[in-house]
Amino acid sequence: MTTKQITGEDLLKRFEGNPIIVIEDVPFRANTVFNGTPIVTEDGIYLLLRVEGQQGFSVFALARSKDGLKFTIDKEPVMMPAKEGPFARYESLGIEDPRATFIDGVCYIMYTAVGPRGGSRIALAKTSDYANYERIALVSEPGNKDGVLFPRKINGLYARLDRPIGRETGSIWISYSPDLLNWGKSEVVMTPRYGFWDEYRIGASVPPIETEEGWLEIYHGVKMTSSGPIYRVGIVLLDLDDPSKVIRRGSSPILSPRAKYERVGDVPNVCFACGAVVDKDENIKVYYGAADTSICVASSTMKEILSDQI
Amino acid sequence: MFRRKEEGRDIVHRWEGNPLIRMGDLGFRCADIRSAGAAYYNGKTVLLITVQHLSGHQSIHLAHVDEKGRFFVEKAPFIGPNGDSRNDNPHESEGDMDARITYMDGKYYIMYMACGDHGFRIGLASTVDFVNLEYHGLISEPDTKGGALFSEKFNGRYARLERPKSGNSIWISYSDDLVYWGGNEVILSPRRGFWDSARIGTGAPPIKLHNCWLIIYYGVKSTSSGPLFRLGAAMFDLKDPTKLIGRANIPILSPREDYERIGDQNNIVFCTGASVQNENELQIFYNAAESCVCVGSTTIHEIIDTCVYSKEEF
Repeated sequence: MTTKQITGEDLLKRFEGNPIIVIEDVPFRANTVFNGTPIVTEDGIYLLLRVEGQQGFSVFALARSKDGLKFTIDKEPVMMPAKEGPFARYESLGIEDPRATFIDGVCYIMYTAVGPRGGSRIALAKTSDYANYERIALVSEPGNKDGVLFPRKINGLYARLDRPIGRETGSIWISYSPDLLNWGKSEVVMTPRYGFWDEYRIGASVPPIETEEGWLEIYHGVKMTSSGPIYRVGIVLLDLDDPSKVIRRGSSPILSPRAKYERVGDVPNVCFACGAVVDKDENIKVYYGAADTSICVASSTMKEILSDQI
Repeated sequence: MFRRKEEGRDIVHRWEGNPLIRMGDLGFRCADIRSAGAAYYNGKTVLLITVQHLSGHQSIHLAHVDEKGRFFVEKAPFIGPNGDSRNDNPHESEGDMDARITYMDGKYYIMYMACGDHGFRIGLASTVDFVNLEYHGLISEPDTKGGALFSEKFNGRYARLERPKSGNSIWISYSDDLVYWGGNEVILSPRRGFWDSARIGTGAPPIKLHNCWLIIYYGVKSTSSGPLFRLGAAMFDLKDPTKLIGRANIPILSPREDYERIGDQNNIVFCTGASVQNENELQIFYNAAESCVCVGSTTIHEIIDTCVYSKEEF
């Protein structure tokens, strides 16, 4: 894909055709589209998109492409907040920020369920055809979000990164599970860094990518300013056998809001990744929501990312 | 031990000799006393009281009763700072508090709140003799407290009450092994306009009665001079503890006495231990104004009546 330099020296290079999906591409009436997670299928790269409806509640839509750049969106949303059953009371205010992970060939989606009682919780669903989603369970306590599943078991247990609030601070934690239903052994992995670009709040963004050196986690970091938050994209390497251990953490963001579509929108100054695709040549495409108003993509190579600051 | 002293229209009647344990009874310096979990061991009451030390750290101390009904509080913490080396753990750097004891399968399980650098969490320990303690680790996500184990399993699974900060409600969750927990459901929330409108949280561990699980909880109303902590009661289905059967519209105990109104934090009655005595008496150990441990009692009959029929009261 052709990339273009805007300003600054971001490690991730923006695709020239950004934004790749805007609200006009959505075939039903809605407010905005942002935060989509890529799913590599036999038919091409799909994106499960968060679409915010006009009432303010989010749903998921499916965008299909051959090349991961030019997408067509299905006519109807593929997943709506549950109206009945055990999920209804916990996601009546919307479903948000899906993240896809394949484990043993099964496509799992971790997403944020938003309800009136206790705010957000992490929920888990799975799909085999990407158009129909089967809910598995609500898997966190309330006040937790940004759940990303590791693509394989670690020491015999499933693992996820998540973002609970402890002491009024949003940090990245890890939890483990024998069965994807019951979770425990929660531990803090890393916290915001005073004075840095990620000093206010951090959270997991892209499901962890396994490399020889460790798990690459592409996360989001927030700095608070007098005119609101700035969301940037950062990187960290976690130990392969004990991912609660940080091996190296990038000192600088790899993507910061600079382009107009990242600076202008419902929530200005936001780059928020929800997934990435690594191809056989070790090129990486990171899909991100820009200003909570559109979907964009930026790219680099695994070699460059791993040798940059971490 | 209990002579009733009618005070206002509270459902729970205070013991005439309250407070049961004052700071001056401790035999060592401290900043305040915060709660008392209760159990019966060898036919006697055993309390696990939370002491805040002058340094600001908290730990859980064992209190034994003597023949005259006086409590002796051990100086060495049972759980918490100086109790053992776990103080190095950043998840418990500020100490441990609010022990809730559940007797199950020959063991006393103690759920407590561990306060650390990254928030507060539920910790689990167990003992068979109140001398040796086995730690089972921290079992919740951060900023969740109010852990209280049910004394029976449901469909083969352990169950606990918990109070995540987000939403200020009481939740339940389940586990096969006391390590990995799931199936979290909200079971009781604050009620707009009521005495428990701002937030609610776990009180005593669930009490099994012939027709329900009785939950004693605390409810908070926000006033211009701070929170007002009272105790409430609710009944849940014996087979499905997510199913609410009855909830008292009125508190069962409100701060009224000086020892409940005056202390490090004013206007607090807060309960982490209760038990049924002589079949029909419910004994409640409670902390008053974060400064002393008190005890009160009522009848099962009275409290069930309150849960079922208090809708007409004002």
